[in-house]
Amino acid sequence: MSISKKAETPRRVLAEFSYERAAAERGYTGQTLYVNVGDGTIESRPVTETMKEQFIGGRGFGLYRLWGGVEDDTRWDDPENEIVISSGPCGGITQYPGSGKSIVVSISPLTDIPVDSNVGGHFGPLLKFAGWDALEIQGKAERDVIVVIDGRSGRVTVEEAVEVPVDTHLVGHWLIDQMAESDEDRYYMSVVAAGTGSENSRFGCLNFSFYDRHREAPRFKQAGRGGIGTVFRDKGIRAVVVKSGPVSGDSNQPADRARISKVGSQLHREIFEYDDEQNQMRKGGTTYLVSIMNDYDLLPVHNFRYGSHPEAKKIAGDVWQDLFTQGIPDGCWYGCTMACSHAVDQYEVRTGPYQGERVIVDGPEYETIAGVGSCCGIFEPWAILEINFYCDTYGLDTISFGTAMGFVMECYEAGVLDQEKTGGLELSFGNAEAAIEVLHQVARGEGFGSIFGQGAHRMKDFFVEEFGADRDFVEDIAMENKGLEYSEYVTKESLAQQGGYGMTNKGPQHDEAWLIFMDQISNLLPTFEDKAEALHYFPMFRTWFGLCGFCKLPWNDVVPPENAETDEPQKIPSHVQNYVELFSGVTGREVTEDDLIEQSETVYNFQRVFNIRLGKGLREHDAVPYRSMGPVTVEEYESRAERYDKQLREDLSVDPQGMGTQEKLAALRAHREQQYEKLLDAVYERRGWTPRGVPTPKKLESLGIDFPEVIAIVERFL
Amino acid sequence: MIRVNKRTEVAWEEGITVTDLLEKLNYTYPHIIVKVNGELVRRHAYDTFTIPDGADVRVIHLIAGG
Amino acid sequence: MRVLSYAAGRCVACRTCEEVCPETFFDETSQDKSRIRIHEGRETHRAEFCNQCGECIDVCPTKALARSRRGVVRLEDPLCVGCLSCVGFCPYAVMFWHSDEVVPFKCIACGACARECPEEALEIVDVEEPLPLGA
Repeated sequence: MSISKKAETPRRVLAEFSYERAAAERGYTGQTLYVNVGDGTIESRPVTETMKEQFIGGRGFGLYRLWGGVEDDTRWDDPENEIVISSGPCGGITQYPGSGKSIVVSISPLTDIPVDSNVGGHFGPLLKFAGWDALEIQGKAERDVIVVIDGRSGRVTVEEAVEVPVDTHLVGHWLIDQMAESDEDRYYMSVVAAGTGSENSRFGCLNFSFYDRHREAPRFKQAGRGGIGTVFRDKGIRAVVVKSGPVSGDSNQPADRARISKVGSQLHREIFEYDDEQNQMRKGGTTYLVSIMNDYDLLPVHNFRYGSHPEAKKIAGDVWQDLFTQGIPDGCWYGCTMACSHAVDQYEVRTGPYQGERVIVDGPEYETIAGVGSCCGIFEPWAILEINFYCDTYGLDTISFGTAMGFVMECYEAGVLDQEKTGGLELSFGNAEAAIEVLHQVARGEGFGSIFGQGAHRMKDFFVEEFGADRDFVEDIAMENKGLEYSEYVTKESLAQQGGYGMTNKGPQHDEAWLIFMDQISNLLPTFEDKAEALHYFPMFRTWFGLCGFCKLPWNDVVPPENAETDEPQKIPSHVQNYVELFSGVTGREVTEDDLIEQSETVYNFQRVFNIRLGKGLREHDAVPYRSMGPVTVEEYESRAERYDKQLREDLSVDPQGMGTQEKLAALRAHREQQYEKLLDAVYERRGWTPRGVPTPKKLESLGIDFPEVIAIVERFL
Repeated sequence: MIRVNKRTEVAWEEGITVTDLLEKLNYTYPHIIVKVNGELVRRHAYDTFTIPDGADVRVIHLIAGG
Repeated sequence: MRVLSYAAGRCVACRTCEEVCPETFFDETSQDKSRIRIHEGRETHRAEFCNQCGECIDVCPTKALARSRRGVVRLEDPLCVGCLSCVGFCPYAVMFWHSDEVVPFKCIACGACARECPEEALEIVDVEEPLPLGA
């Protein structure tokens, strides 16, 4: 195919920087790029040995650079807040599935503490191949800009955004048309963009592109969590573009390519042999989880009140397999044969500014289906696709949107809201049209959408102060912690996962810990010590993916049969060993399984201290809404009365006979809240933290991060 | 009586197989490890392996979220 | 389509093909770089090489694998990013990789081995459907 270029828009360069491209060597280029879009400073910053040894890359580099760039009182919309994007030393290898992830770090408009959001697409690896281990953006532009990093010519520019559209599906195509000089340029170019929704809400997301050679179009993956799209637009950035030139299997210059090729080809083979009988990621991605969660009573329904619904089959995996175009290698980075990044092609948009256009919808993934679907009582695939498309192109996080909408709909049904307060919208569960109208209002910054765009945490206060809502009720039912909306799993019967969410550094996202089946179904964590150990090991192990540029899914979404005979099958020991091989093979630093955990512990504890530095990160901030722990309302209790009554009898030695539901609710609640406190005690102790949740100087010293400014922060709370 | 995962009790029936038990519990996730009295039961034997009365059954689900 | 064909009854496992092949493509005789592999049996031997079935074409993320006009599945090296997806997804495990090489390799029915086979166990033929492995 030849390129037919559209008329070129003139480019007005505001700041410019030339550099000698450093090739990656053993996974690192040895420098990060600093761009200040406010004052035009652009410079190269060295990657030190401390950074490589203590912070590894990805989330570690992001937190390290952010720490150095902000003050104790920096908030999300201060110019000194940063957006840091980094993949990690293994990011960009092509031989092993799931090796192209990036982590974006910034101070979140939702939580006021650092958020780390992981995302696929080509940007992180191509940034490295353009010469940079990380991109650090600071400052605020007076007028909207784009940032262009061209590794082939060794030039970085900040340019005025002349005629550059804002919404992602437009800007992605537009920039490729404007800037690609050949087919090859399209392949090796990636765009980061947000959208108009990011301008008017706190839960803006970033879209990272990858060029789909089969569809001959840019596709997008989302750094969804924590509102980094909001920071991006607040800085006046419309897009960041990177061009790297050709990629090969050697671009990351691993120390021992044969070692990574060996485990890579083995994992491809496992996926070839077992994916079809296991999770069918290649056909449906994570959508298989919908029916599983429904069957096990874990699918959020009606704002997490319930865990299943008879209509869930309408939005289950087989429905999406029929809608997804099959037979295209849908990996979001080269060599990902798990290939979960499916798309619905030629979707005709039904509402809003793009009504009638035929578009590619990237996804939906499980979290989107459960969040904007079942959580809101919406079981219509078209509505989920419509919201998925608009959330992406407007630059909004589908998880925050769905969970916040569930909260709003429950408030509506409980009488906290009415049509007068919503501007005429009947926001009851299942009303897809009304939910979509709110989405458009968020993007326009109008009407009820401007309230909704503040997120669940701030809506609670608003509903209490302006609408006279009962404080206790909204505190109980709004599924948020630290200001971030929950991702989409019901945790009422899994104490370990209640803590998994509550103690997650950035707020309740499940990427650190997902222990529901181990705890609730398989009963592998019967004691507090067991739960604490799991809440040490799994968050550390899973954090590690985000230090190195890996995706979590290939770790355990396919498993070889011999795994059943291992001592700890839930850890997938043979795949853990693969990661030992990969890290050693790329960096040339021989590591063991224990080293991976320690690498994570360092970054994890640093992030906890960073939270404390910015005003959160203590025990009180790990508190969770009661909806995540147990039944809030009478009808919720009665929907599972048998289970709860049994628990009263067996665990509390209370006879539910003759007790009213309110009385039983209160007894159960007191018990569960007490259990949660005991869990925090056990986990903090296991992690080497004080009962207040503060990492001790001894712990920080053992991890090699007892820097004076770090110790000074924890000392205030000892 | 069959005890599953040291928590759930299921009434024993003559000839109950692993498949029958999984159906009763609505354990639909495909990727599991089943042990009956400590002995690993292979997937291909789920339809034929009969569970004795009083058995201690473990059904470990290998699933870790999205 | 043009494919390599193997007559097991004639093969004496002299391994000439395993030397000719790497010499043709890599200018060396290391057998682990051969695109044809002979496995010795007690009575008859068997061979592994690509039968041009084309399953790998749909697996390639960069469209580096395509069928030529003569029906041979070929890897266009400049497009290949060395991800080895095709190696793992080859139904017959006859897409090979080697630690020296960034990209994988396979039989392209060039006929070099057939010309040199002293027992005439190998030949290039035209077929409608892919042959079973090693036939």
